[in-house]
Amino acid sequence: MSTIVTAPPTQAVRTYPTAASWLEAWSALREHGWETVLLDADEEVNAVLMPPSDDPQRENLVTLRLITQGPHRERRDPPSARDILETLDAEARIAGERADLGWAVSEPPPVRGKGIFVYPLGPVRADVAESMLYRLVVMGDEIVQLNLRHHFKQRHIRQLVLGSTVLEAMPVIARFTTTSNVHHTLALAAAAEAAWGVAPHPDADATRVLLAELERAVSHLGDLAALAVSTGLTVPQMEYLHLKEDLLRVNASLFGHRYLRGVVCLGGVNWTALPSHADPLQATETVAEILKVASGIAAQLERTPSFLDRLHGAGTVPKSAIHQIRPVGPVGRASGRTFDVRQRLGYAGYPADLQVPVLPQADAYARFRVRVAELNQSLAIVLSRLAAWDPTRLRQKTPAETAFAEPPRSPEGLGVVEAPRGLLAYRLVVDASNGRIRHLGVATPSARNWPVVPAAVANGNILQDFPIIDASFALSVAGWDG
Amino acid sequence: MPALRCPWLAGTAKSPLEVCPLYYWNWLRHIVRLPETTNFPTAPDPAVAEMSDPAAIEMAARPSDPFPRRSIALRHLDAGSCNGCESELSLLSSPDYDFTRYGFSFTPSPKHADILVITGVITEAMVPIIHNVFEQMAAPKRVLALGTCAIDGGVFAGAPGVVGSLSGIVPVTVAVAGCPPSPGDILRGLLTIADHRDPLASRKAVSR
Repeated sequence: MSTIVTAPPTQAVRTYPTAASWLEAWSALREHGWETVLLDADEEVNAVLMPPSDDPQRENLVTLRLITQGPHRERRDPPSARDILETLDAEARIAGERADLGWAVSEPPPVRGKGIFVYPLGPVRADVAESMLYRLVVMGDEIVQLNLRHHFKQRHIRQLVLGSTVLEAMPVIARFTTTSNVHHTLALAAAAEAAWGVAPHPDADATRVLLAELERAVSHLGDLAALAVSTGLTVPQMEYLHLKEDLLRVNASLFGHRYLRGVVCLGGVNWTALPSHADPLQATETVAEILKVASGIAAQLERTPSFLDRLHGAGTVPKSAIHQIRPVGPVGRASGRTFDVRQRLGYAGYPADLQVPVLPQADAYARFRVRVAELNQSLAIVLSRLAAWDPTRLRQKTPAETAFAEPPRSPEGLGVVEAPRGLLAYRLVVDASNGRIRHLGVATPSARNWPVVPAAVANGNILQDFPIIDASFALSVAGWDG
Repeated sequence: MPALRCPWLAGTAKSPLEVCPLYYWNWLRHIVRLPETTNFPTAPDPAVAEMSDPAAIEMAARPSDPFPRRSIALRHLDAGSCNGCESELSLLSSPDYDFTRYGFSFTPSPKHADILVITGVITEAMVPIIHNVFEQMAAPKRVLALGTCAIDGGVFAGAPGVVGSLSGIVPVTVAVAGCPPSPGDILRGLLTIADHRDPLASRKAVSR
């Protein structure tokens, strides 16, 4: 591994007195390649942006703050009125919580006509699936429109953690989305570390990268298994599931939990929870074997026409949706968007020259290829990190969590990471006197990418393509219904 | 184009698997391969027992109606999970756990189902749906509460809109604790429903 970036992301705030000027500034920066990270509201309304990598801007994260207190008479448009659609989910939530803003949430126009049928699917559906209702509007076989209904399984995590300490919130956040729990705890820990001014030790950072890439590999293996079976190929599904189980057992042997929960802690890594009999050498062997077999499966799938024919051109994300919603993660990178937080922010000691796979086609096949490439890359990073990993060196390197019981240095902190499904951001606001949570803003990759799915599905596809398109996106409902 | 610069897209490593041109021909390779399937929980497997929680299984009183011992169809219902239980549940059909060797299978319809597997915290929005799915199932039928959340709400107990328990909604036959429960423990829970005894508790040979 080359240069290690250890400096935590720097953060700046710009305030705007009127909604028009705030939206204007946001739109202008967006046009210049700035990336919207999060939109949330407590007393103020905040749009947090990340500058493009070639920007001379010193800050990594810039908050555009709209101060909305006081008797305002001006008309306040929501971001979607300016075609800023990547924060649709947050906008709908804020519109519900902050009636004073007067933001209206618009519904897609209903499709009517002779021969139009609505095919409802859900909320209980398929073999093992999360609860959500798909309403497929079809004309014969062709899908004309897709409406998604969620919120069946909302757990109101943002409200639940209000008033608790960050330490108490960690186990709750670790159950936001279990297949991304390392990244959720990592983002909250990063936000808390920014607020309390604690920098994790490089050894703890190295372990965090190991954890993050193990989680990404497990997640991608499961997603690839689901994609294989969506085309009716059960043998590669079984092979991918077997590799996933092997990797979950590596997780359990090294870190004591199949999904690595509870290892990332505030300020570093909870080394006391690590099993004493961890064998990194054995784990390295297993991971190397997984990398070899996974490459072989992907190479063979690339030569199986019945698989490729179903993926090529299926669920192509329209250009307008890419431009307005700006999908993140593998979905975004398969749509020609060169954006990966690991590369842009270089958090937790990721190499600055990390190369991420990007394809322009935006169809199910591109998403398959990007996931395969990312899986191989993640496993290679795991192998290189395992070679230098010494769990005994973690001792005494993580500051006591009691440091977070003291009043914070700053009442606010941001944490941004690249979860397996894409950009994940936490904005933490704590009480300056006792460190209890006053507000928690969370932007998950699934919440951001779900609005892309209807646009991609209702794009010249037929009903039989739907399971393949759905599997190729591999989004989680838990991440949307937090 | 940026894609061409990324080495990870350039092509995958050569492997012995590549001698097969199509995926279908893998069955040839699988003839000579030994099964990866664990014998847990009906025979010892230390690797899986390690990930198992001996106290995970909790049984209700034995229902009075008879229940098929094998060939049992499962209907999964997510009532507010974090997708951890789903991830483990979907591994039951993997070669490593292969629950079909005990006669279990997933069914897409509650009308074909014998066991309703419920995961998640039980949100208010899902309560009428749980009722509906359970009523759609033909008797004899059983309910498996999967994971700490489905048992008592776990860390989400007391959250707005979260009921946190199945009591008063559907009768729970067996509960499997764990966050998430390991696939081995889920298998134990299913076998406990079929046989009304925990295979680990009744066989000394399978002790940890």
